[in-house]
Amino acid sequence: MRFDLSEDQALLRGSTRDFLAAEAPLEKTRRTIEHDPRGVDRETWGKLAEMGYLGLVAPAAAGGQGLGAVELAVVCEEVGRTCLPGPYLDVVLAASVLAAAGGQDALLADVVAGRRTAVLARADALYAGETKETTRFANGRVRGTKHFVPFGASADVLLVGTPEGVCLVERPFDTVPLETLDPAQRFVTVQLDHPAKLLGPATLLGAADRLAAVGAGAQLLGIMAKLLETTLEYVQTRRAFNRPIGAFQALQHRLADMLLRVESTRSAVYRAAWAVAAGDAEAALGCATAKAYAGESSRLVCGEAIQMHGGIGFTWELDVHLYFKRAKTLEQHYGGTEQQLERALEAAGL
Amino acid sequence: MDLRLSPRHERFRDDLRTWLATHLKRPWREELRDPKHTEDGLIELRRAWQRRLYEAGYLGMDWPAEWGGRGATEVEKAIFEEELARADAPPILNILGIGLLGPALIHHGTEEQRRRFIPPMLSGEEIWCQGFSEPGAGSDLASLRTSAVLDGDHFVLNGQKIWTTFGPWADWIFVLCRTDAQDRYGGISFLLVKLDTPGITVRRLRQITGESEFGEVFFEDARVPRSALVGKVGEGWRIAMTVLAYERGTMSLAYSVRYRRDLERLAAACREHGRTGAAVREKLARLLVDCEVLRANGIRTLANLADGKVPGPESSIEKIYWSEFDKRFRETALDVLGPGGQLVRTSPGARDDVDWTREFLWSRAGTIYSGSSEVQRNIIAKRVLNLPQEGR
Repeated sequence: MRFDLSEDQALLRGSTRDFLAAEAPLEKTRRTIEHDPRGVDRETWGKLAEMGYLGLVAPAAAGGQGLGAVELAVVCEEVGRTCLPGPYLDVVLAASVLAAAGGQDALLADVVAGRRTAVLARADALYAGETKETTRFANGRVRGTKHFVPFGASADVLLVGTPEGVCLVERPFDTVPLETLDPAQRFVTVQLDHPAKLLGPATLLGAADRLAAVGAGAQLLGIMAKLLETTLEYVQTRRAFNRPIGAFQALQHRLADMLLRVESTRSAVYRAAWAVAAGDAEAALGCATAKAYAGESSRLVCGEAIQMHGGIGFTWELDVHLYFKRAKTLEQHYGGTEQQLERALEAAGL
Repeated sequence: MDLRLSPRHERFRDDLRTWLATHLKRPWREELRDPKHTEDGLIELRRAWQRRLYEAGYLGMDWPAEWGGRGATEVEKAIFEEELARADAPPILNILGIGLLGPALIHHGTEEQRRRFIPPMLSGEEIWCQGFSEPGAGSDLASLRTSAVLDGDHFVLNGQKIWTTFGPWADWIFVLCRTDAQDRYGGISFLLVKLDTPGITVRRLRQITGESEFGEVFFEDARVPRSALVGKVGEGWRIAMTVLAYERGTMSLAYSVRYRRDLERLAAACREHGRTGAAVREKLARLLVDCEVLRANGIRTLANLADGKVPGPESSIEKIYWSEFDKRFRETALDVLGPGGQLVRTSPGARDDVDWTREFLWSRAGTIYSGSSEVQRNIIAKRVLNLPQEGR
């Protein structure tokens, strides 16, 4: 038994951290977020493709690396740490669905190489519990409305979830931008009445759901770990009443709780990732646990990061809010907490 | 990463499961609610159970071979705890002897002390209690004042210990006492004391559960032989610290098994009572998620141990996690059961699946004993996060 990463996985972590530090520093991320309508730096995206990150879990035959959920967690943790803008996880998930469906070799190769972008279109409603008409596939066409399609305006291909199965829709499609509290996101609503190809049964999305939980959970882990480091630095530098504020027990105990959250999330996320990769019987429960716990923990950790920075923590200038907002996106998408709780009960037979 | 048990550990687990299936006649829960058992009767039952485990070679597994060891490590011990929890076996009676004093004697005791004390400790013939806390020394343990003054070849003890778990049944107590009033840490020594020594009185304390698992121990000119000293005079604090490192152990896996079982019973009770609405299901689901995170923490620790890593101060995280979770779990159980959840075991109408009120009351103890949550957070702040000493 071993919890630590293997040598290869540790190398992947190191090289990803270096790559993202060089390619996606926060000043650049801020420019992309605030000025680029697509929300992606094309050059960075090209390099992500070139270095094999987009094809991380895609099979080698399609130009992918054929790696598993643990490696996805490693990369996503770093993506979270840098607050990388763009649909990284979304494209990896779309590629995994294309690979599982089969018969889409050319498209999959294009997605892995960054020549075309594919994302999943899943949400039928804007608000939880809203009963809207479901998007359906019939007679070679897909009809309906999908919301919160990530980076949908610049996507070439949508993989649309319907009760009949996963449908492939190619551009052009009409999109309406949705602006959320996270300025890095480029969600859209898509009105669909398009010719479509049925890729396979809706169950294809089950495996993607588990990878999504691992990937989003790992990004949340990266965000929390980064904010804890940032906050620890701050409380040791910032002084009040003639001492660093980190010397006050009122903060120390809360910082200890932040560490508890970070480390427990780490246990849960990597256990889930390993279970998915190993085909372990506890994978479904592990994934639901990891995502639900990571989401809940991010509230505490990100919230405390703002609080402990005081006034500066409430400014646009400080980077903390970028992470705080990203965490909110990750918490409610990729299977929100309520959904994960249901999945957990189901997996445990409760 | 590899979270699968190695073939060797799998074999150990399978053998143990077989052994438990043969030898454990009745789950602990059933013993607990058997009206014919008195509190003392349950102690004798646990003593008999411990003896069976000892005879089968499952106690002291990680100690040197001459003291019952079989080349096992912390990994086997964690698996052992997990499987005992899975089988719902009675808790090991002499846990303070085996868990705390045993390692202290192996690392710091004399050959003679080991030979005298270890075999009856493992077999359950001699039960030990831990004389650390005092009325004026809880979290600030080093402020303890029970004194031991050398008089010829005897130490003369005066003072009081409190919250002494198993005090009412124990035969022996290991005592931290002050041999030098001027030296806060270096003035503490570690003594092994027979509880029927003249000058020692043990009083039961009634806990909020109504039970008397702990008590207080009074020393009035109690004379104990010099051979009762472990290590040298003034080494007590150092010995206590090694001992407490063992106390933190690796219990997350075993605990997660118990919570999962209780959660399944709670969910069954909710179904039985027609409590299937969204509010109740969300509460159950949150407990399930928290229980699985506890399990993930336990698996991580187990894997780290198997990988040759020694648990450090970060094990405080595990202590806080399970003890705080215990409170959430037991509160929520009463919540979803409604007023009937507050019925005590012996009351008409009480459920017989889990002793919900006893567990609820006990959950208040975990965040206090063996290093309160506040002390654990101090440890994390100082030794893991390297934050400055408080107030400076």
